[in-house]
Order: sequence, then structure tokens, then C-alpha cells
Amino acid sequence: MTDATQIPSSGAARPAGKSIITTDDRTKKRNAAEKRFRMYGIAAILAGIACLVVLLGSILMNGASAFQQTFIQVPVYLNPEAVDPNGNRDPEEMGSATTFTYKPIVVDAMAALVEERGIETEIDPGDMDALFSAAAVAQVRDRVLANPELVGETVTFNILASSRVDGYLKERVSRDSVARDSNIDAGHLDIVDELRAEGDVVKRFNWDFIFGADASESRPEQAGMGVAMLGSFFMMLVVLGLSLPIGVAASIYLEEFAPQNRLTDIIEVNISNLAAVPSIVFGILGLAVFIQFMEFPQSAPLVGGLVLTLMTLPTIIISTRAALKSVPPSIRDAALGVGASKMQSVFHHVLPLAMPGILTGTIIGLAQALGETAPLLLIGMVGYIATNYPDGVASGFLDPNSAMPAQIYEWAKRADPAYYERAWGGIIILLVFLFAMNAIAILLRRKFERRW
Amino acid sequence: MYDNRASESAVTADDIKIEAKGVNVHYGTTHAIKDVDVSILDKTVTAFIGPSGCGKSTFLRCINRMNDTIDVARVTGDIRIDGEDINDARVDPVQLRAKVGMVFQKPNPFPKSIYDNVAYGPKIHGLAKNKGDLDDIVERALRRGAIWDEVKDRLHAPGTGLSGGQQQRLCIARAVATEPEVLLMDEPCSALDPIATGQVEELIDELRRDYSVVIVTHSMQQAARVSQKTAFFHLGNLIEYGDTDEIFTNPKDPKTESYITGRIG
Repeated sequence: MTDATQIPSSGAARPAGKSIITTDDRTKKRNAAEKRFRMYGIAAILAGIACLVVLLGSILMNGASAFQQTFIQVPVYLNPEAVDPNGNRDPEEMGSATTFTYKPIVVDAMAALVEERGIETEIDPGDMDALFSAAAVAQVRDRVLANPELVGETVTFNILASSRVDGYLKERVSRDSVARDSNIDAGHLDIVDELRAEGDVVKRFNWDFIFGADASESRPEQAGMGVAMLGSFFMMLVVLGLSLPIGVAASIYLEEFAPQNRLTDIIEVNISNLAAVPSIVFGILGLAVFIQFMEFPQSAPLVGGLVLTLMTLPTIIISTRAALKSVPPSIRDAALGVGASKMQSVFHHVLPLAMPGILTGTIIGLAQALGETAPLLLIGMVGYIATNYPDGVASGFLDPNSAMPAQIYEWAKRADPAYYERAWGGIIILLVFLFAMNAIAILLRRKFERRW
Repeated sequence: MYDNRASESAVTADDIKIEAKGVNVHYGTTHAIKDVDVSILDKTVTAFIGPSGCGKSTFLRCINRMNDTIDVARVTGDIRIDGEDINDARVDPVQLRAKVGMVFQKPNPFPKSIYDNVAYGPKIHGLAKNKGDLDDIVERALRRGAIWDEVKDRLHAPGTGLSGGQQQRLCIARAVATEPEVLLMDEPCSALDPIATGQVEELIDELRRDYSVVIVTHSMQQAARVSQKTAFFHLGNLIEYGDTDEIFTNPKDPKTESYITGRIG
């Protein structure tokens, strides 16, 4: 070390002084490579943006119309002889008059409206039911049962138009397609044209699509996301309530307390593996364990939540451990150095610092669970939930329910093209939820992040 | 209470605070500390010097059992503080660390306010009965850390917003707030500029009046400036231990001489 080492003088003569103003070939090549790489990067980003624009654009273009629905304003004469044969305005007795009783009333009202507007048509007055939805009749009946004093009066109803009429206004149904359609005739479309000109047929924002229940296959105009939304909500409550405490506790133990040995290594590897297990596997596990073995009810948000909890746990554990690992060890030393116990150092110092990471991981995990469909197919959380909103709504953790992505899948596979639009509309609602959750993740991160 | 060994020890001093005998530390397969015997005095600054990786920090961390937190570390041997074996099964490391404070190489204030940084230790040890008590403790600690005048107007500002030297003095204040008897300092000035180093060194000299201070340092000048006793470590062995003046002017071991004259290390 003390010996001075001789630096050998370079044998070759130093090349004649090169100017730094003219770029040499090597530098040119290097600069070209750099420029090329930048171009590749920009091209990749542009391609990504283009895909995103196409995706969002097509979703919006296909789905936006689902938020509008066609309604017909019809003055309906509520004939007391039909709806209240006993004449005592007792809602319980009036309940014996079913939609079969009400249907002719609405059909007559429709025919009267057509006549009043002076529309000449070859359509038989009895065939006016093609104009409005089957749900419209129930709509009228419900309103009458809720307000018996309306009986005998002429009340103007905003009734749901049939899906064909709705499709005609949304340009999904054309006169060509009607020619092949047994549900509606070109004559009906003429009536719609005239009524539209009079302002009796209008397209309005359709709250029922967001808050209403699903409807049967023949009544797409009535179908809504509301009940599936409730199902998703209950499932998310279960997932949050179980996976956050379990996941965070497991991560804290593994990261801060567990001894480093073969067993913890195996656990670690398996958690990483579980995160990569296809979700349908969790679905079949849920079917076998929760439904067949533990005999929980089928199609219940509780079971769906349990399955999604299993699926979300690895995500939460991995992100929580990463967040804990990113807390500098000097903080732990500092806490132990002043005599804090291991647990005090974790809960007073490490955990608050890891909080933004934990919350972000949890919300990303929840968002993933919210969009998960495959496991729900296996535990029966997909399908038409027969419920009249808001009465008899699937309101609990144990009532059969669906979930938003499952509802979208269900609509997408139905035959009526009117459901196609609703599937896209459902995707918009789901995306709004996902964006909202991500926004919350970012906000929480900002709030808990300590800038000091 | 004191061991017989104390009187046999080469050190001619008043009170022995820490007594280590046959201490060995293994990190996995690495033998980091080899059979170290040392007696550290009360109200004295003891410096551990030696080249990097010689085990001086490892030995320091034995004294408040911070090595417990490292899975692969294995400590054997006998370390006594006031005659009590710190590795006794009945000893709770938490109580030990309240008695033996530590200041680390890099200033590591909690990401909390200056006040909370200092108040944390007294709070978890239940030293304050009420808010007024706690305020007094915090003020006293900050004064002892020679930082009170600089921070008294912004006690609730974040501790991490201070300069490096201030942060380190805050960490010292935090360490003394729990009323320890021994203060361990692991290269407390290595991340500081000369001015901040000077302030911290002055502070160490002040602290000597009440504590037994053990400081690990890379700087021989610093050891010469602040300490009364010096221990020279090399490759895990304690080569020489004695009065600082003696070590620097008249080292007995040729290795010590090589190190302090700059030929090894």
C-alpha cells in the first residue's frame, strides 16, 4: 500500500488532436441509436393511448344510449268498474285486479291517444300493446294501488315504450328490420313518428337503468343495474371486512415478527403463487367448500364475498409487505433504541408510514375483486334476479343476488339486441366505480403520505 | 455488587458501569467479535476505534441487545451493567434499552414533530404523569441535546425538516429523554459537516457528567478529542484498551501503532 505503484506510460503516440465541434462516426451512431430508442418509446405510448381512446370511445358510443329510455305520455282513464269492482277503494281488495285487468285499460288509453291526435292508421286498436312495455301495465297498477283516490280519474302516465319503439328512436330498429319482426309493424312506427312530432313520445334520462332491477329476457327496456350494484356492494363489504384485517395482520406478522426459516419461505412462495391462480379456480373452491361442504346459500353475496376475499388476500398481503419493507430500517432502530417494544415500534412508527401503500394495495385489490366475473359464475351469482325494486329487493348478505360484472355478462349473452346496448351501458357504470375507487386510492395516498 | 474482576481490571478508575467478559458474536458463519473483555467506566467517554468491519459497532450493539433484532446474529459471553447480566433470561430488552440509550450513525428522527420525537420515549415508559410533566421532560432533554434554543419556537414542526446536525442533536435529545444511564453512539458524526460535528462533540463532553458514553468513531482525531478511554478493535479482536492519551502517545501493541499512524485501515 505504501509502495508507490508505477503508472505505465502509454506506448502508442496520442492521436492528433480531434476537434470536439465535428461529431465523429461513433458519436453519430450513438446519437442515432438514442433517437431511435426515443421514437420507439413515443410510438409505444401513442399506440397505448390510441387503444385506450378506441376502447373508451367504443364503450361510450355503444353504451351511452342505455342511459336514455323512450317514454310515452298517455292520459289513462282508470275505469272504476275494472280496477275497483267492489267500489270501496281498499288497496287490498283492489290488489285482486291483476295486470290482465289493467292491460286493456292501457291499450284503450293508447288507442284513444292515437285517435285524439288524429292519426290515421290501419293498426287495430287492440294491437296498440306493441307500443308500450309489458312493464308499463304494472307501472300503472302499482301507481293505482299506491294512490287509490286516482280511480275514476284520467291520469297522465309516463309509461315505458316497448324495446322496439325505444330501438326505433335510438336507430337500432329500422323499417327494414321491422318487416321481419312479428312484434311490431311498420304501422306502429308511423304512429310513433306522429306521436313524437306531437311531443307524446320522448327520450329521457333513465334512472331505472342505474337503480332498477334486472328484467326478464322479453323486457329489456325495463332492465337495470341497481340490484346487481347492491350485490356487488355487499360483496365488497365482505371482502373489505375480511381481507383487510387478515391481510394486514398476516403481512405484519410475516414481515416484522416471523423468523426467517424454511417454513416462512414456503409460505412466501405460496402467497406469490396464489396471486397468480386463475380466478375460476377460486370459484370452484368456493363452490366445493362454502356451498357444498359448509352449505351456505347459493348465489349469496356472502359466499361471493368469501370467494373474492380468498382471491384478494394475496394481492393485499403482497402490497402490504412491500409497503412495510419500504419503511427504512432506521425508523425501527430508532424506536427500539428508545426502548419501544417490537409491537410498539410496528404500530407507532412502521405501520403509519406504510399506510399509503397498504391502502393503495387494498383498494386496487378491491377494484380487482369488483370486476371479477369468473368465480361468480360457479357459485350461481349470475342470472336474472326476480325482484321488484324497491320492494322485495335482494337486501341482505344471504339473499340471492348478482354482481355488476356478472349482470353485464348475463345481458351480453341474451338474444335481444336491446340487451347489447345495456351490456355496454353496464360496463360504463362498472368503469365509473373502478375510476372512483382508484381516485379514492390516490386521494388516500396523498392524505397519508408524509412529506417530511 | 461488583465483580471481583473489576478490581483486577487494568483500568484504574472509580466506577465500572459495563463489564464485558468473553464476548463472542457470530453472524451466521462469520465470527464478528472474538472473545472481547472490556470494562467501561461511569461518567466517562469511551471511544471504540478501528478499521471498517472490525466489529466495533457490532460490539456496541451487544450492549443494548440491538443484535437481538438480527436473526442470524448469535451473541455469547457475559455482559454486565451494574453487575446485572443483560443476557439473563429475565431481562426484558425493552427495559434494558430504556437504561442504555442509543444514537445511530445516520440521524433518524421519527417522521413526527420535534416535540413528539422527544416525548415518545418518556410516553411509552410512563415517565410523565401529565402534559406539564411531559413538557418539562421534553424541554430538559432538548436543552441537554443543546438544541433547545434552535427549536423552542417550532416544537411542532417536523423533526425531519431540521438540518443534519440538528437532527442528530434531536436524536441525542430523544435518547436522553428516557433518562438512560449509558449512552451508546454509533459513529454519530459520520453524516455531519465539521461545524455540526464540533457541536455534537461539545455535547458529548457535556453528557459525560451524567452518563457513561460509549462512542464508535472512524475518526482518530475525534476519539482523541472527546474520549478519556479508547479501545482499539481489529478483525473482531480487542487489541488494546486504555487511557486515550496513553493509546495515542504510547501504544503498546504494534497493530495499534500502525493504525493510529495511518499504516493500516
